[in-house]
This record gives sequence, structure tokens and C-alpha cells, in this order.
Amino acid sequence: MSFLDKIYKWLDDRFKLRDLLPPIVKHPAPEDVISNPLYCLGGTAFLCFIILVITGIFLAMYYKPTPGEAYKSVQTIMTAVPMGSLVRSVHHWAANTMIAAVMLHMIRIYFMGAYKKPRELNWVVGIFLLLTVTTFGFSGYLLPWDQLSFWATKIGTGIAGSMPIIGGYISLILMGGNDIGAETLTRFFAIHVLILPMAIAVLLGMHFLMVRIQGISGRL
Amino acid sequence: MTLIEVEKHEVEEPKSEPVRVRGLPFFPHFLLREVVVMCLIAGSLILLASYYPASLLKPADPFDTPTPIYPEWYFLYVFGFLKFWTWDIGPIPAKIIGVTMPMILWYGLLILVPFIDRNPSSDIRRRKLAVALGIIALIGVLYFTYYGIVHGE
Ligand code: HEM
Repeated sequence: MSFLDKIYKWLDDRFKLRDLLPPIVKHPAPEDVISNPLYCLGGTAFLCFIILVITGIFLAMYYKPTPGEAYKSVQTIMTAVPMGSLVRSVHHWAANTMIAAVMLHMIRIYFMGAYKKPRELNWVVGIFLLLTVTTFGFSGYLLPWDQLSFWATKIGTGIAGSMPIIGGYISLILMGGNDIGAETLTRFFAIHVLILPMAIAVLLGMHFLMVRIQGISGRL
Repeated sequence: MTLIEVEKHEVEEPKSEPVRVRGLPFFPHFLLREVVVMCLIAGSLILLASYYPASLLKPADPFDTPTPIYPEWYFLYVFGFLKFWTWDIGPIPAKIIGVTMPMILWYGLLILVPFIDRNPSSDIRRRKLAVALGIIALIGVLYFTYYGIVHGE
């Protein structure tokens, strides 16, 4: 008996792996799903998400969310922190790739009619995922506190703020005041690293659970 | 390639015979492929990141408006539509329409897609209307994105 077998047996004695694993391990992946790359888009988005979590944690170790320090801390990440520039750039590219992959994934679902009965609710969860992902991008954009972040956020909060009825409240909630300043930066930071990650974890859990229960659609 | 055959009950047609699905077992064959694809994507991201590092411009200055300024590319269509729509409708000012249409109406419409499209067929040849509307929506979003780029502030 090899060492791995021993570990397996030890765990099996305690957790009945024999009953738990086969449905996962032997679960068939249909052939047309494997051979058609369009089905990779959801997985690509998920991989990007994992990369974003990891690189994001490292960025958070150096980043300081105040107007006085934010720009300097990003500058330090880019110039002084070992591999800092790579980590930040991978975070940047993974974010853009994720948004593109989510959009293409949604286009595939639409044109293949994969949102039809029984998958209506998974489409609805998907739209909330799309909103969450773009809000991630929006909130992250401000954090480096450079000219681009500041003015792009100015446009964004301006647009959100001119929505009828709710616009005023939304811009107040987002900016924490009448203009973009220290309050806005800490808020965007909290949204970006606390609120949205929790929201997306719940949504992704629902999304994958539904895919698992209902299977991938298609004329198999 | 190792293929296995399993019985699978179609969800859509409960009364029909169970169909046989040809496929790969999840472990290890399917997982191996996934790992290869994951390495390719991760590798491309690292390449992109090294050749085109994330930018950092001058520090934010609330008193110096740069030109032109653009929002992120995935919000350009909202921005573009706002620039495009200059007509008041009755008492509703153009700006309100320009903001409401691409955000509230568009997302509302997207959420409702499965409930609007009651056609049960997922065969693309039998969903001409849905496909046509989808293509129009895509062209619309691309057009307003383009409009947003050309008319940056
Ligand atoms: C964070 C974003 C998202 C992730 C990580 C994700 C991930 C996935 C994955 C891995 C699958 C399995 C099949 C495939 O990959 O094509 C899937 C299926 C599905 N997704 Fe997503 N998705 C996301 C966003 C969305 C959005 C925006 C929509 C649509 C509005 C959506 C609707 C669906 C539906 C309806 C299915 C079932 C498709 C089928 O059975 O063929 N998802 N998703």
C-alpha cells in the first residue's frame, strides 16, 4: 500500500470518502461541452476571480486608503515592493479579462438560449453577478488616486447621481459627501475589499449550485 | 481520450427515454484539461502584465481637469448614450432619459429576458426574433461604446 493509499484510507475511515467522492469524481462532463471552447468562458471568469483574490490580498498589504497616502503607496508597490509591479499589473489585467469573459459568457448563454426553463433564476443571478463585477471595477478604479481614477470616478458618480429619484441618495452613499474626497476613498475601499467580495461569494455559490443541480444545457 | 458512458435523464423532457451521454469522467481527464487551460490563461495574464504594466498617472488633482477623460471601457456605452441622447420627451429632460435608459431600463430588460422570451426552443433556427433582438442589442452597445470614445469629454 503506497503512502497516498494510507492517507486515503485514514481519511476514508473517518469521513466515508467512499460515498462522498464518486459523485464528484465520476461526474461526467458531456462531450460537446468539452470540445466547444465557448463553454470555457464561465470558468475563465472564475479563474480570473481567484487570481484577483490572491493578487488583491497582496496589494492590500501595502495599500493605504487615504488621499494623502494612497497614491504614494501605489507608487511604492510599483517601484519598491519586490514583484509589486507584476502583482498590480496582473490584478489589472485579470480584472479586465474577467469582465470581458463574463460579458462573452452572457452572450453565449443568450444566443444558445441556455437561460430557458429550468434555468431562468440562474440567468437572474448572472445579471447580479454582472452588476457586481462591473461595480468591482468601478470601485477599484478610484483606489490608486491618480488623475485617471479621480476624473473617471467623477464622471461615474455624476452619471449615477443624475438618475431620477434615487440618484441623489446613490451619489451621497457612494461619495459620503458632496464631492470626491477622503470619505469617498475609504468607502470605495470598503466596498471593493469587503462588501463586494462577500456579495460575489454568495452569488457564485448560488450560480454554481444551480449549474450543478440542473446540469449544462445543450442538445446532448 | 477516455470516454465513459452514463445514463442521464433529460430535465426538459421528463417522459422521454433516458439518453446516453458520451463524456469524460470529471476526474482525472476533465480536470487535467481544465488545468492545462488554466495554465494558459494564467500565463497570458502574466505576459500581458509584463509587457503592458498597469499605469499610474500624476496624483489626483481636483482643480486640474485633464482632457479627454473617459470612464472604464465597460461603462463607455452608458457614457456614450448620455452624449448621444439630446432630446427632451415632454416634461422629462434629455439628461434623465440618457441616464435611465442604459442603466435602469437596460438592466431591467436583461433581468427579465427569461420571462419575456417564452419560446421553449433552444434551437437557434427557431428563435429568429430573439436572435435578431440580441444582435440589435449587441450592435447598439458597440455603437454607443464607439460614440462614447469619439465624444470623450
Ligand atoms: C462572475 C461571473 C460569472 C461566473 C464566474 C460564471 C460561471 C459559470 C460557469 C463556470 C458556468 C458553467 C458553464 C459555462 O462555463 O459556460 C456557468 C453557467 C451559466 N451561467 Fe454563468 N458565470 C458568471 C456570470 C453569468 C452571467 C452574467 C450570466 C447571465 C446573465 C450567467 C448565466 C449563466 C447560466 C444561465 C448558466 C447555465 C448555462 C447552461 O446550462 O448552459 N452567468 N456560469
